[in-house]
Amino acid sequence: MNLVAFKILLHDKAKYVALVLGVSFATLLISQQSAIFHSLMHASTRDILEANQADIWVMKSSVETLDQGYPIAELSVNRVRSIPGVQWAVPYYQSTAQLRTEDGRMKLVQLVGIDDLSMVGAPQEMLIGTLAGFHQPDAIVMDIAGYTNIFPGVEPRVGAIVEIGQRRAVVVGICYIGASWSGMPRVYTRRSLGVSMARETLNPVTYVLARAAPDHSPEEVAKQITKATGLKARTRSEFMDDTQTWILKYSGIAENFGITILMGVVIGVAIVGQTFYMFSVENLKQFATLKAIGINNWVILRMIMTQALFVSTIGYCLGIGAANLFFAMTSTQLSGGLRGMFMHPFIFVGSGIFIVLVTLLACVVSVRKVLTVDPAVVFRG
Amino acid sequence: MSVICKDVKMAFKTAAGSVSVLKGVDFSAPAGMLTMLVGPSGCGKTTLISLIAGLLRGATGSMQVFGHEVSSMSASMLVPYRLKNIGFIFQQYNLLAGLTASENVAVPLVASGFDWPTALSQGKVLLEKLGLGTHAHKLPSQLSGGQQQRVAIARALVHSPKLLLCDEPTAALDGQAGQAVMTLLRELAIAEDRAAIVVTHDPRVYSFADRVVHMEDGLIAKVESISLGKPDVTTHSTSR
Repeated sequence: MNLVAFKILLHDKAKYVALVLGVSFATLLISQQSAIFHSLMHASTRDILEANQADIWVMKSSVETLDQGYPIAELSVNRVRSIPGVQWAVPYYQSTAQLRTEDGRMKLVQLVGIDDLSMVGAPQEMLIGTLAGFHQPDAIVMDIAGYTNIFPGVEPRVGAIVEIGQRRAVVVGICYIGASWSGMPRVYTRRSLGVSMARETLNPVTYVLARAAPDHSPEEVAKQITKATGLKARTRSEFMDDTQTWILKYSGIAENFGITILMGVVIGVAIVGQTFYMFSVENLKQFATLKAIGINNWVILRMIMTQALFVSTIGYCLGIGAANLFFAMTSTQLSGGLRGMFMHPFIFVGSGIFIVLVTLLACVVSVRKVLTVDPAVVFRG
Repeated sequence: MSVICKDVKMAFKTAAGSVSVLKGVDFSAPAGMLTMLVGPSGCGKTTLISLIAGLLRGATGSMQVFGHEVSSMSASMLVPYRLKNIGFIFQQYNLLAGLTASENVAVPLVASGFDWPTALSQGKVLLEKLGLGTHAHKLPSQLSGGQQQRVAIARALVHSPKLLLCDEPTAALDGQAGQAVMTLLRELAIAEDRAAIVVTHDPRVYSFADRVVHMEDGLIAKVESISLGKPDVTTHSTSR
């Protein structure tokens, strides 16, 4: 009888399209907003993601989140290096600084000072220039989105001269960095140069990046570092979790996106529920006829569930396709707030399961009407 | 007798209280005959055939259909009982709008467990008999009222039911189409092992009946036995 269910469903094209579009819209809204939320949370740990050689981050004990790094003494680097189980440890500097262009325009930038020797923390993807450029005098590497923000309409190139913290700086490379939480242009430089640009004199280290020796677990080494130095040492994943938890707790992003996603859910349930209900009510006489002929409620239930699953599958595919198209168009951009955003597989699966549940829920409401319809209505003209 | 109802009483509860619709009906419909159930609106005709079909429950009295005591059947027993034993023809045809004529005819067979190709081919054969062979692929909306009712007749007969229940089958048709439908019903529906009950208001089709049962106010008022083309040969009243 599934064929009959399909034929009933597809016969009224307008309602079928309305049902599919309702599911598609709900899918698009839920999956796209969930993916943006997830990508933003991912972006909030941008520096941790970029400095992927380090599996331990050491910081002042009061640090709660990546962007709140407080300066610590340079001596801390050697103290960390002395802990058994530490393979290597390097300083990492992070600050905001004022950048001034040759024509006098000012921009606040995120300054990242990488270790002069090892280059740990350097950007992963150079678009113009190479990491070797860092060794040039006054060298800075800018992210492409920041460059187009600072030099609008100018073709990205090396050689641009700016002033950061009243120090001359020369753009020797342009890199690609995914969207970050702050959205500020990012400027990478050698740490020794960075601290002077930020006019930091006493404590020229924000984090100590370390790696556990091959036969030691990062968790255990981090505990040893904390015990021996009094500094807070977190593994890479722990620090990512700390940062994301802090953002969820204090930024309001969870509530904002939660409301939008909830709206998607409500709209989805309302549109799909209402349309499905109307669809079933309008076909009530057809279902009553089937019941009168001698088709039992289980078969009718299966027919309606088949209709619901078919609609939700088509609607989901269209909605998730549209969401992917959105990210395909936006995530490959070199600049712009949505660059690098992506849809995690669990959002594919999660939104799919959710949409099927929503459709089935909507269906349950209308099914009740169909299952309880008195087949004797067929005799009422 | 294939359908025997004895002292059937049925009342509906309304806001104003209980309304008695059937007040002790004794009714029978023999196999091999077309029995017409006639009477004014509200006299209980539709309620009676709904009870015989097992679409309505809650009546008192006895209703035997080919040996099955319908009144004692549970709701779950009534569904396969209807599927196996009853063919329906409705006033508004009640064809499934998204299905072609042959698919509509095939529905009772598919519901009985036949595969679609077999059910469709049997449906087409029956449609051919009814003169609708060239319309088998058409949707109900592409057919005239008379053609739709012929499709409904095919759907009612395709699974060879023992009882055919027709509710005002000519009410939505013009006189000519109504006569054509009744002619077909007589030709195809009457079989030795099948009883046909037709509820109608239309006196123009009484001549197609073997028996005309008149109902009034929830009771059988009169039963006429009719030789085809010669109505009113025998008349006897059973009114209480």
